[in-house]
Amino acid sequence: MAKWPANPRVINTRVTRLDGLAKASGRAKYPSDERPEGLLFGVVLYSPHAHAKVKSIDASAAEKMPGVKAVHLIVKPGATLRYQGDDIAAVAAETEEQARDAARAIKVEYEVLPHVVTERQSTAEGAPKAFAAGNSRPGRAQTAGKPDEAMKGADATIEATYELPVITHVCLEPHGLTAEWKGPDSITVYASTQSVMGVANDMVETFGVDASKVKVLTEVMGGGFGSKFNADVWGIAAAKLAKEAGRPVRMFLDRAQEHLIGGNRPSAKATIQLGATKDGKLVAMTAETSGTGGRGGSNFPLPYVYHVPDRTRSHTEVFVNCGGSRAMRAPGHPQGCAVMEAAMDDLAHKLGINPLEFRLKNLAETDMVAGGINRTEIYHEQVRRGAELIGWGRWKPRGQGGDGPVKRGLGMALHQWGGGGAQDKQVACIVNPDGSVELRSATQDIGTGARTILAIIAAEVFGLEVGRIRSNIGDSTFPPGQSSGGSTTSPSMAPPCFDAAVKARDELFRRIAPGLEAAVEDLALKDGQVLVKGEARLTWEQACRKLGMMPINVVGVFAQGLSSTGVGGCQFAEVTVDVETGVVRLKKIVAVQDTGLILDMLTWRSQVYGGVIGGLNYGLFEERIMDEPTGVMLNPDMEMYKLAGATDIPEIVVEAHDTPEMRARGVIGVGEPPTISTAAAIGNAVANAIGVRVPKWPMSPMNVLDALAAAEGKA
Amino acid sequence: MKAFAYLSPTTPEDAVKALAAPGTVEALSGGTDLIGRMKDYVASPERVVYLKDVKALAGIVEKDGATAIGAGTRLVDLVSSATIRDRLPALWQATTEVGTPQIRNMATVGGNLLQRPRCWYYRNGFGLLAMKDGKSLVRAGDNRYHAIFMTDGDALFVNPSSLAVPLIALGATATILGPGGERTVPVEQLYRVPKADADREQTLAPGELLAAVTVPAGVGKNASYEVRQKQAHDWPLVMTSVHLKMDGDSVREARVVLYGVAPIPWRSEAAEKAVVGGLVTRERAEAVAKAAAEGAKPLSNNGYKVALVRTTVKRALLSAVGDRYWQEG
Repeated sequence: MAKWPANPRVINTRVTRLDGLAKASGRAKYPSDERPEGLLFGVVLYSPHAHAKVKSIDASAAEKMPGVKAVHLIVKPGATLRYQGDDIAAVAAETEEQARDAARAIKVEYEVLPHVVTERQSTAEGAPKAFAAGNSRPGRAQTAGKPDEAMKGADATIEATYELPVITHVCLEPHGLTAEWKGPDSITVYASTQSVMGVANDMVETFGVDASKVKVLTEVMGGGFGSKFNADVWGIAAAKLAKEAGRPVRMFLDRAQEHLIGGNRPSAKATIQLGATKDGKLVAMTAETSGTGGRGGSNFPLPYVYHVPDRTRSHTEVFVNCGGSRAMRAPGHPQGCAVMEAAMDDLAHKLGINPLEFRLKNLAETDMVAGGINRTEIYHEQVRRGAELIGWGRWKPRGQGGDGPVKRGLGMALHQWGGGGAQDKQVACIVNPDGSVELRSATQDIGTGARTILAIIAAEVFGLEVGRIRSNIGDSTFPPGQSSGGSTTSPSMAPPCFDAAVKARDELFRRIAPGLEAAVEDLALKDGQVLVKGEARLTWEQACRKLGMMPINVVGVFAQGLSSTGVGGCQFAEVTVDVETGVVRLKKIVAVQDTGLILDMLTWRSQVYGGVIGGLNYGLFEERIMDEPTGVMLNPDMEMYKLAGATDIPEIVVEAHDTPEMRARGVIGVGEPPTISTAAAIGNAVANAIGVRVPKWPMSPMNVLDALAAAEGKA
Repeated sequence: MKAFAYLSPTTPEDAVKALAAPGTVEALSGGTDLIGRMKDYVASPERVVYLKDVKALAGIVEKDGATAIGAGTRLVDLVSSATIRDRLPALWQATTEVGTPQIRNMATVGGNLLQRPRCWYYRNGFGLLAMKDGKSLVRAGDNRYHAIFMTDGDALFVNPSSLAVPLIALGATATILGPGGERTVPVEQLYRVPKADADREQTLAPGELLAAVTVPAGVGKNASYEVRQKQAHDWPLVMTSVHLKMDGDSVREARVVLYGVAPIPWRSEAAEKAVVGGLVTRERAEAVAKAAAEGAKPLSNNGYKVALVRTTVKRALLSAVGDRYWQEG
């Protein structure tokens, strides 16, 4: 079993992101910034209808418009368009404006078909049948034990329905690529992607070119969150246009397209009955859930985190004429977490038990994850620490949020994730005679800090400053690297990187040892020096010069013992809610998280901040709003599709559960877990503040006031 | 985007001439509304007249107790004006919250007053009234941000100007230049309720230019209170501006104007009547707020706005007399 250095010098410290200055100062060149010589701009014409048949397409006028160099029909007459935004044709022109005008000049005759764009509309009595196999698909119930019987034995039960809307990824850099043919059978692509290898493979498969003639480059990129693994229809269209025009074509979606077709997180609706004994032990759960991912799936884990001995749950897929869902940061988990944690809080309230105690009581006795870790014990420690940081001692039962209209409340939620990696990726390490060091792999940095952590690992092994290592990733022609999804990049890439650096170091030692009249085992590297039996003998540069004309070039592979999987975390939120306006303000969020060995404290914390901010947007602001009469999205922008600005973001306390036991587990990814429980914790804090459950996310003034009015109506 | 002629006059006279020329014309100032509409093909003018080079249209002038604000004055200049802050807090409070710092650095008073509705049916190309086959899309669709007063009619959008509301409360007038010379109207008369998609919701005639707004002398206590979902970059859901002329502690004359509830800035005569003739206490503010909400006919999704009418009227009134009860404790 391989092991990380016991007393690291760089690993587990705070290292500034290598490309941070370039990004912050605007010098970093994103794929959408690339402007190769002769560039044309591509635009896609897309369906204005939620459901229609294409009767005819006439691009003749568009082809003749000024600046237009190529037109490509993505669909043929007779094709069915299944949502607003569905791709029809693409145009390449000298300027973006010319391309837009030309796309609008393509004449399409539609036969408009009946649509369903919301879950309500799709499942309504007499709804038009918009999908051949039916508008929804009920799943089979998954049952453990005898929930009905067990529920009868419960001392207290709650039954409630909770709902979360569809949200979209809203990557700051839109989806897209610039395709440049370097001859008839060789293509270079600048892609904003989470997978340079995935995009390269799409090009190989579509165009039949040799894999050796395809190069996909992603030096940096502006966010993907699970929605950018492929070239996509528009990327392929760009390559086709580029081929036809004989010039590079840049095709990036606009903001409306991003919302319509760039992917989304499915909605969730759950009617849950949850029962417990009077001393607070869960006995049974029954759950009927549904959701929509367009035509795709919407399932989510439930029960979540807590142990419910007897349970049954069935999930119905609802189909709508909307752009399809894609993986979105911790797919399924935020939905499962929100509905489970809401039910937990509501039941704790009914039982009159502190919801923190109630949660701890209902964790499985043992919840073993990789490396012989009992996650239940980790949760206990995390909850204790989180409670301290938020000041849970101030917690009061619901409805005691204060005398004035502005009520204060506390809420919490737990989450979990895997975060392991692949075992087949590679990193090349090159040590040059001039002392420069380069790492190469066909992985990419989607903003998480992947570039920096690879350099940290090499710097650790070579005893060099991190800035001395050139971490060269985002190139599909390098040794196979991991796609950035599922929090798998670090656990997939760190082991081969370590292996490569160690191999390179060992080769260096072998080659310089004779000249030093030393045994290889007596050599060590520290602070830019080569030590012999602990004494500095050469600088790093002097040592490398001894390589002569022959650099070291080795490839590292996976090794057991350096990475692991299975994490937990908890978050706490403090809010105020003005019951006369329905406005929720965040006061503080505490996020406690374990992820094994943390390679870089700074980029790790940055990921947790980002996850929490994504989660608070889900909790308070985001919602894809579809219009039932017209079938269009009403808020495909960043104005009415609401997202937090700087002043909407509270103090966020990030706490690493960073113990010797955790470090011994090796590397685990942190991209996803910290976004899971934020919306759940906020929902619970709102309920705690106002004494009423707001059953629909986001916690908007409308939803809060509606919940208060409903409660008043009932009272 | 449709190709257009671009003019940038430097005097009000030339601006009027440019605006009065035949064809579809749009005035461009900060560009925070028009450019977006043109990019989305909601507006496709043949001629765009840029007004920011008309320096005479910008600036704040105090004269005989009145405050004249040029239509070309940027919102950031209103926010940084001590006169506006101290004398016209209703206007100042409404302006500080508009958009973002970037928007306030570009947007102008005239542009804010004359921007087109933010109704998402209008902005999605379904027309100002959003009627389809004789039926209102707003009524049948998602109307959470739409009107709750005057909803018997076809215009269900809300007037988008944050500044119109305090200016009407303060009794401001608008100075309009046109081919026929100058005319002055109360700010509320800049707006009307359109009857058809082709109608404008604004009363300026072709070729007319809004030059300035003037708040007359003798301003009483005034304040605005706004409810918005986000703190950064958001529109008010509902806002109320009040202006109270007092006899001692008693209200002699009042204006109560609301944003976000009707296709025009909504003067609540019921609230004005209810507040006159007494002190502004919490109990009376509550009663006035109730009166303001009477007659509201919400659509299918926006019943919550009735509560916001009550809250913003109450809080604006109490804020005007220095009682910010919601900040206590």
